[in-house]
Amino acid sequence: MSASRANDAIIEARGMGKRFGDNTVLADIDLRVHRSEVVCLIGPSGSGKSTLLRCLAFLERYDEGEVELEGELLGFERGRQGQRVAASNRRVRQVRRNVGMVFQQFNLWPHMTVLANVTEALKRVKRLSRTDADNRGRAMLDKVGLADKAAAYPAQLSGGQQQRVAIARALAMEPHIMLFDEPTSALDPELVGEVLQVMKQLAAEGMTMVVVTHEMGFAAQVADTVVFLDQGKVVARGSPSEVFRHAESPRLQQFLQNYLERNAFWDTLEESTTHA
Amino acid sequence: MLEWSQIIQSLPMLLAGLWSTLQMSAVGLAIGFVIAVGVCGLRLSPRAVLRRLGGAYITIFRGVPLLIQLLFLYNVLPRLGLGVTPVVAAIAGLSLCCGAYIAEILRGGFLTLPKGQAESALMLGLSHRALLLRIQIPQVVRLTSPALVNEVILLIKASSLISVVGISELTRTAQNLAASTFLQLEFYLAAAALYCVLNVSLALLGSWLEIRLRRSGA
Amino acid sequence: MKFDLSVLTDNLGAIADGFMVTLGTWLGGVALGLALGLLVAVLQLFGPRWLRAILRVYIEIIRSTPFLIQLFLLYYGGPALGITLDAIPAGLIGLGVYGSVYFAEIFRTGFNSIPPGQLEAAECLGLSRLQVIRRIQLPQMLVLILPALVNMVTILCKETPVLSIITVPELTLVLSGIGSQTFAFAEVLLALCLGYLALVEATSRVGQALERRAQRYLGTSPVKKTLQEDIA
Repeated sequence: MSASRANDAIIEARGMGKRFGDNTVLADIDLRVHRSEVVCLIGPSGSGKSTLLRCLAFLERYDEGEVELEGELLGFERGRQGQRVAASNRRVRQVRRNVGMVFQQFNLWPHMTVLANVTEALKRVKRLSRTDADNRGRAMLDKVGLADKAAAYPAQLSGGQQQRVAIARALAMEPHIMLFDEPTSALDPELVGEVLQVMKQLAAEGMTMVVVTHEMGFAAQVADTVVFLDQGKVVARGSPSEVFRHAESPRLQQFLQNYLERNAFWDTLEESTTHA
Repeated sequence: MLEWSQIIQSLPMLLAGLWSTLQMSAVGLAIGFVIAVGVCGLRLSPRAVLRRLGGAYITIFRGVPLLIQLLFLYNVLPRLGLGVTPVVAAIAGLSLCCGAYIAEILRGGFLTLPKGQAESALMLGLSHRALLLRIQIPQVVRLTSPALVNEVILLIKASSLISVVGISELTRTAQNLAASTFLQLEFYLAAAALYCVLNVSLALLGSWLEIRLRRSGA
Repeated sequence: MKFDLSVLTDNLGAIADGFMVTLGTWLGGVALGLALGLLVAVLQLFGPRWLRAILRVYIEIIRSTPFLIQLFLLYYGGPALGITLDAIPAGLIGLGVYGSVYFAEIFRTGFNSIPPGQLEAAECLGLSRLQVIRRIQLPQMLVLILPALVNMVTILCKETPVLSIITVPELTLVLSGIGSQTFAFAEVLLALCLGYLALVEATSRVGQALERRAQRYLGTSPVKKTLQEDIA
């Protein structure tokens, strides 16, 4: 399976670095994500995993290195002497047109109905007619199991439902890549499952996904590659079983130990590896 | 003790004054709102020079008492060669001043919007313009609507000061009637009652908006 | 147009008198407004039901009528009710009454922001209602409502020119008098603008200094947050 994807990196970060003032939050990040691959970014809080994801969407400007999405340089253009020049907003929009993003805080627009949230960009960006946009919007809501909530306002939904709407909103734009920034961290524990279920379905359909998560069970079960970050650096990467079962780095071992003590995700891992 | 019959006889004049108060306030509000949008834009601009310019506008037009602004517009502008009728001076005074207050209300509204809402819009490919027009401004207007209604009440009260440049709005009308009939208490009470009715209704509208806003959870 | 500052320097004495009247009516009005406002707030919170209803009406009436109309009622309408006042006391009382309702609302928000647990604790220790107000509630809330109070004080400052309309000989009346005698409106009105800008600025500086001192005293009490949200 992995051999067939060897050459089609859809996201490629080379030597990417990011500073906030004097504080280096990401250093020398290399990351290749292939079509239909699911990458989970894990690590302690403050390790830079969310910043890394936000750099891949250019919501944060990276200071060093390069990020390419489907072969196009993100956020910058190459000048005549090969130097980096900041790209225009329009160019940034164009390069990331095939990237969908789901946020920890859902970031739905509270003044619009659920359906209007999903169709707004279809109408304004994809220039779909109202009917077409509504049809596609309803189809997307149906996909995440919320067809009956089309006329509701975000505040009337549970957190899990809001996050599913946010996923539908991103999917409606037919992205090639979906970025998830701790999509379940703001949810009550009993609502986490419904969101993960939608994400699993998406992975099964072959969506390319990069997921920042604390849900080790999900990472173990769904990820093709797990990347462990600590203090702004990639410390370990590999298949879930390599990262989770054969952790060499002491920082990773310590990180996993913390989870092990709280969650019994090990069982899930056994299960998924035997199925594979 | 009070001479009610006189007041009832003069009611049409008082109501005409009230109508004038409403007209002047409405025009002042409309122009003030346009000014406010511009000044708010300056205040939120990424460029420091523009931010400072907006700040200076607000310091001046909120810091100088409205009465003095009106006297200035009415007495000084004509000497600079600008022919200013009382109506123009009055409307200019009201709108320049309420523009400064509304600008700050709007800015407060923009600052309360979660940053993530803009990020999700940009990630879906919406332009900055669409973000502003479709996502941010509708929410800011809704969020600030109680404060804006309150500002309208303040504006209507402030409009009593345009009587000094000779606009016969409600206060001036009451003043004239009081002076000609010597029924000071009666006519000022009548004017106060009319202001009360108007502003209490507006205040009720404001709290209704606020309740609706809370219920929608926005 | 020529700009001639001699109209100002020639009349320094009169201007100084006017300034003192402005300052006196303003600060006197603030003092009266604070006292009345505190009284209204306390009665609204702890008084009998009928009194609360009356105070509610009082607040609504003052809040929904223009300050100028209130001044006319007091100064020109007063004699019909047997209240005859000179212009300066009328102006001072007018400012105080006008300010009192806004001060009362600020005090009320302040009282409500003290967590009920603290009051229950005080009652359990046997403190009387008045002792609770004086020893527990007021010291905490005064710190918290300081910004709102200072803001109201500057608003009252900006209302003082209105007193000129009922012939209080304050700065605006004195200066516009000089203006109409000499036709040097630009000079006197510009001076007035700058004067008020300076006065408002000075007031908010004093307010900020007071706030800084108060912040240190209160630190990050849980009360602070709820209150700031309430006032916002």
